Amino acid sequence: MGSYLLKRLAASLLTALLASILVFLLVRMVPGDVVAQMMGQAGGENAAAALREFFGLDQPIYMQYLAWITHVLQGDLGVSWTRGIPVATMVGQAFLVTLEIALLTLFIATVIGVPLGILAGIYENRPLDTAIQSFNIIGLSAPVFWVGLMLLVGVSATFSWSPPLRFVTPDRSLADNLAILALPIASLGLLQAAAYSQFVRQNVVSAMSQEYVRTAIAKGVPVRGIFFKHILRNVMIPIITFMGLILIQILGGTVIIESLFALPGLGRLLLAAIETRDYPVLQGALLVVVVAAMVVNLLVDLTYRLIDPRVRVS
Amino acid sequence: MALNVSPAPAARLTTTGRLMRSARREPGLVLSLVLLLLLLLVALFPQLFTPVSPLDVAIDQAMLPPSPEHWFGTDDVGRDVFARVIHGTRVTLSICAGSLLISALVGGAVGLVSGYFGGWFDQVLGRIVDVLLSFPPIILGMIITGVLGPHVGNLILALSIVYMPVFFRIARAGALGEVGKTYVEAARSVGIRERTILRRHVTRNVMPLLLTQYIILFPMILQIQAALGFLGLGVQPPTPDWGAILEQGKDYILFAPWMSVFPGLAILVAALALMLLGRAVQKRMDQR
Repeated sequence: MGSYLLKRLAASLLTALLASILVFLLVRMVPGDVVAQMMGQAGGENAAAALREFFGLDQPIYMQYLAWITHVLQGDLGVSWTRGIPVATMVGQAFLVTLEIALLTLFIATVIGVPLGILAGIYENRPLDTAIQSFNIIGLSAPVFWVGLMLLVGVSATFSWSPPLRFVTPDRSLADNLAILALPIASLGLLQAAAYSQFVRQNVVSAMSQEYVRTAIAKGVPVRGIFFKHILRNVMIPIITFMGLILIQILGGTVIIESLFALPGLGRLLLAAIETRDYPVLQGALLVVVVAAMVVNLLVDLTYRLIDPRVRVS
Repeated sequence: MALNVSPAPAARLTTTGRLMRSARREPGLVLSLVLLLLLLLVALFPQLFTPVSPLDVAIDQAMLPPSPEHWFGTDDVGRDVFARVIHGTRVTLSICAGSLLISALVGGAVGLVSGYFGGWFDQVLGRIVDVLLSFPPIILGMIITGVLGPHVGNLILALSIVYMPVFFRIARAGALGEVGKTYVEAARSVGIRERTILRRHVTRNVMPLLLTQYIILFPMILQIQAALGFLGLGVQPPTPDWGAILEQGKDYILFAPWMSVFPGLAILVAALALMLLGRAVQKRMDQR
């Protein structure tokens, strides 16, 4: 396990480092830099050159990268070019918002999706299964931001209520915080529940057709025993693995839902940084997204090995 | 009354008979094909469905709710939402289909070569693909379009990069699986050139995998395309595009929800049809 962990960590670090190069290059493909944005049409050549020197934009690109990555490795993400605040602070605050949305969504998706999937799998091809599968496929087809919009219309028409416009952190007021997040989480959660349920169903169906389940039925093990001992145990492993995948999906979905509900998470930060050509913020936020996705993958892998002894051997 | 007791054997069923039988067995596939046919018709001949131009502005008719004259209502500048959704079909679906095709061709070809020949080339590409796959797809798309600027060409470029690694991996794994097979060895032993083996034989055997993947990824790329449009990073107004129509509608969501309801439904229906097709195809592949 120890050597595996080391190998896996080294590979992740290498990927993260390569990703940082890609991030850096991508960001620099932006036509027009921050200086051009700041000065607009007016402003002399000298002032522009001075500003470029100030931001280090006059250096060759690999030197810019080396300077950035050395600081990043020391935990310093730099300072925002447009707001003068440390990038780490901005990204940290935004990341907490996104993380809260993601974890709550994961909770909703699991609580709804897993039982639905198990039910659908047990009642394969019966009306209940058809109903759940219809929910799944519609959920998987609906665009998340559209579901968010529809929930907004539905809720405001039925209860004449719409979520507060200003974001409040949970430590200030948990009630206000949840009121703001309710609709975004509901829309993301419902769709991810569909994905989860679909996946769990497939696994239950395939577990039910296994020889050992048939043997258990044949020798008269009560249904409940078969379910808990044979089916659920075998389905648990993919359920946990899929949780990681769902979490990464949610991370992507949050970006869109944040922009719809004006939530100050990573997605909004990224979009704003693109607009203002704020390279340090853009690089920092992107790097955090990539590293977060990587950590999730790593955790999934490790849990997988912990709970399934078969994987450890191979 | 003549009694016909011997039913026709399965092999002698007529084409229609066979179709009817599989239709009963797979209602999802039938629904999917009917919807896809309808979408294809709408995309090819939008004028058949509406005589109204999707670009005609009429400020005095702004934000009218759905009515017999305007089935889906009108938007903030009085354009007919039905006409915009109908004409948007071609724009949205052709961007998705085209981007995914570029993805499949480039990713598939590079993956085949990489898997078949191996070596340092394969190692390096494998790393790059790992890096690309470490970004959530929608964020990768958002960054590329955001950075290059909202333009259809950039949108297509971004969308084709997003799923290129997936096609690469599938083609590579497929080629790796074929390399060790006897037919490749046999072809080599009679002196057929490697390039010819790859092109004529290996590629043909990997093709079904790529095609299946194309169908499976189509609804997903549609979601990303729509999301980018919704973020204002996709097709720009006034061109009708489902995601872009939603983007224009979102500010009026509480006053004129019809501006958003219908383009969203169009995305849902198209994604649903494609997903059902994908599931049917996947089932066939699994049975093989």
